[in-house]
Amino acid sequence: MAIMVNLDVMMAKRKISSNELAEKVGITPANLSILKTGKAKAVRFSTLDKICEALDCQPGDILEHV
Amino acid sequence: MWTKTRSLMLSRILVAGLFFLLCVLVICIPFIAKWFDAISVGKGLIKGSVTVPVCIMLYICDIFAFAAVISLNRLLGNINRDSVFTEENTRCLRIISWSCVFAGITFAVFSVWRFEFLFAAFFACFLGLVMRVLKNVFEKAVEIKSENDFTI
Repeated sequence: MAIMVNLDVMMAKRKISSNELAEKVGITPANLSILKTGKAKAVRFSTLDKICEALDCQPGDILEHV
Repeated sequence: MWTKTRSLMLSRILVAGLFFLLCVLVICIPFIAKWFDAISVGKGLIKGSVTVPVCIMLYICDIFAFAAVISLNRLLGNINRDSVFTEENTRCLRIISWSCVFAGITFAVFSVWRFEFLFAAFFACFLGLVMRVLKNVFEKAVEIKSENDFTI
């Protein structure tokens, strides 16, 4: 897919673990793993909003078009 | 009280019954062919006794019927396990569809002995077409489900 998810980069920058982020966002660690590995086919705005809030970043910091 | 579980159970019983019927048919095919030859008044391009052609036709169609019934049973088993929109179920529907079409082709080929087999050929091909459309719907549903499952 042409959209890359740089979630792990932002997580490393913010020094936050997967479990912690999953808990803050309100999704399961399994779903977060799907998102991190780029297997996800779509991301809800509500999920993106929570991720940006938890990582204090912009959607563009997480998603990249290649 | 009529429930979904009971409806599924009835379908499985009917499929098991059909399987049993097909097993009986395998044994009785020579007798059925002889009986058909005795009562048949239809015409075909090839004249003469139809015992052997009907025998061969029924044996071939029985193979397709077995394939379809086994797939039906697998499909019902998967539905029972709440695994509905899966690749395996699509494959089952594809097998059923092709079985019907091949049975239809078999009937069409053997209609040179009796033209009335063309009716059976038409209905088998029609059923095959219906199953094919159903398979296409299932295929699309599997795709949509996969997209839904991977929407975070």
